[in-house]
Amino acid sequence: MSSADTALLDRLIPAGPPDPPSLRATNWLLTHGMPDPHDEAWRYSPVKEILSRLAVATPAQPSQITRAEIDRLAGNHGPNRLVLVNGAYEPALSDLEAHADGSWIGRLADLPPGTVSTAVPVGGGFTDGFHALNRAAGGDPAVVVIEADVRHDTDGTPSAPIHIVHVAVPGPDQQVSHPRTVIEVGARSHLRLIETFTGLAGPTLTNACTTIRLDAGSSLHHQRVQTEAAGATHIGHTQVSQAAGSRYETSSIMLGADIARHAIDVTLHEPDAHVALTGLYRPAGHQRHDTAVCIDHAASHGTSTQEFKGVVDDHARGSFSGRIIVRPDTIANDAQQMNRNLVLQPTAQADARPWLEIFADDVRCTHGATVGRLDDNALFYLRSRGIPLDESRTMLIDAFVREITDAIAPASLRDHIAALIDVAARRSQP
Amino acid sequence: MLHIENLTATIAGQTVLRGLDLDIAAGEVHAIMGPNGAGKSTLANVLAGRDGYTATGTVTLDGIDLLALNPETRATAGLFLAFQYPTEIPGVGNMYFLRAALNAVRRERGLDEIAAVDFLALAKEHMARLDMDPAFLSRCVNDGFSGGEKKRNEVLQMSLLEPRLAILDEIDSGLDIDALRIVATGVQNLRSPDRAMLIITHYPHLLDFVQPDHVHVLRDGRIVRTGDHHLAHEIETDGFGPAIAPVPVP
Repeated sequence: MSSADTALLDRLIPAGPPDPPSLRATNWLLTHGMPDPHDEAWRYSPVKEILSRLAVATPAQPSQITRAEIDRLAGNHGPNRLVLVNGAYEPALSDLEAHADGSWIGRLADLPPGTVSTAVPVGGGFTDGFHALNRAAGGDPAVVVIEADVRHDTDGTPSAPIHIVHVAVPGPDQQVSHPRTVIEVGARSHLRLIETFTGLAGPTLTNACTTIRLDAGSSLHHQRVQTEAAGATHIGHTQVSQAAGSRYETSSIMLGADIARHAIDVTLHEPDAHVALTGLYRPAGHQRHDTAVCIDHAASHGTSTQEFKGVVDDHARGSFSGRIIVRPDTIANDAQQMNRNLVLQPTAQADARPWLEIFADDVRCTHGATVGRLDDNALFYLRSRGIPLDESRTMLIDAFVREITDAIAPASLRDHIAALIDVAARRSQP
Repeated sequence: MLHIENLTATIAGQTVLRGLDLDIAAGEVHAIMGPNGAGKSTLANVLAGRDGYTATGTVTLDGIDLLALNPETRATAGLFLAFQYPTEIPGVGNMYFLRAALNAVRRERGLDEIAAVDFLALAKEHMARLDMDPAFLSRCVNDGFSGGEKKRNEVLQMSLLEPRLAILDEIDSGLDIDALRIVATGVQNLRSPDRAMLIITHYPHLLDFVQPDHVHVLRDGRIVRTGDHHLAHEIETDGFGPAIAPVPVP
């Protein structure tokens, strides 16, 4: 690591006595440094531009924002909402009263000692420099802990989701925040979680990490929505570890920021774990949206599905890298991956890369990727009925993304996202 | 109503229409027959404004220069093309599509957009006449429809949109005799004194149900013979060869 990088760490990592994991992260950074364009996992991302923004950034300061602004940016999807502005918990904007017995929501510092047993941080390694920087420079994490055997929907009705909202509010110059979130779902428990990353226009850089641990037989339904504003840079990382028989369902909706990357790393540590990922990215203008998935089948009898769709417009670029690892001495794993892209303009670009590392014989693995344009025949058919070109295009784009967006729950979130996509579609019409 | 003069059309460097003339008055039904490759579907596509063709000549509908308009404006001006191969559009609901189309036409006619509830009632009424299950409204546009179902969906659209000029491009192809009867009856019911129809077909069967006022034979991109409905039967008996033999091809 160069002296410039060391100066960067001095600037970004808070002074004072660090906790041991933070010190370990700093040491990791000093040894390994930040990603560079040659790193396979960062192949499609504009790493140089991201690093140049980071190089001039200062730690984001606490900032004011109103409840009405939060409602407008993130929607209101139930009684449990935890709001963090520039990575700092805002109790006055949060509503944490309504959650059920056996669940804890709040800052780690506010939780009774011992509530979070082993999961901060999960695992020893860091996947890259941003991950380590998040741990080294991020403050007190937002935490959701569901104890064992808490099922909110025993009467058949779905429990209210817990909504974590991260707002990036810019200052006069480039600022960076490192929001940390830790989710633990105890054995046989169930949680519905919405994570929103949003913000106001300006030079914000959000380096977020959400660490999720699913105990045996638990399940998590997780909607992640990134709708940050123009000028924003978003580096997101979702790290999931799954115990036996657990189920993780997630949807990653990426609409905002100038440059956005979301890495999803899921490890199925124990047998019979199931993961279902879906996602949508819709870059327009000069936006860059990159999704990098890694599913690690480290135990037997696991299933994983990935269904990601991209709609890339104008001069934008979108990419999907889907890595699947099936470890030696595992059996009967089933991994499926599909990535479909709609490229709306000749100047737009979509990249799709399956990346399979199969070290076991008894495995079923399928993958596919498509990159195509709007169907000219369908467009002509709609127009021949009098439907204007822009409306016809919107209908076809809507039809393409619907497979992903229709599955979003609750309905208030689905409608919120549909409205944002609609705005994006209208903005990018020729 | 429709006036076509010296229409030529080329696609990918190939000239398909070579100086076609045709006039259709309000209330008239014209049939165009002709062997494969004569230019029948090209005529339909050029009139509807499909991309990829270079057209010259004059085409007016009620005095409006059609060739200068994009496809959606031709449609709202009153032109309707029933497709030979209706396009399947997965993900777009049939009811949503039909209502969007009707509202586009209504806007052009200065009418208010139709509300969803009123549209549902209207669509069901039109579907009943075509012996169509209302369940087709909740499916996606032509998605997984059989050949006959697709053609019925075309006639349904024509029935809802009430065009000035309907062009039916082989609406009879791929239909068994029962489906043909339903589709043809649907078309026949849409004849009206202020509506013109241009029926493009290979076979005279359809013309037994919808008797045309004039029958034209198209060959090599031109109309080479014109007659009344008896010409269709002559072609059925003798094929295209004798029908066009009396006219020397210059």
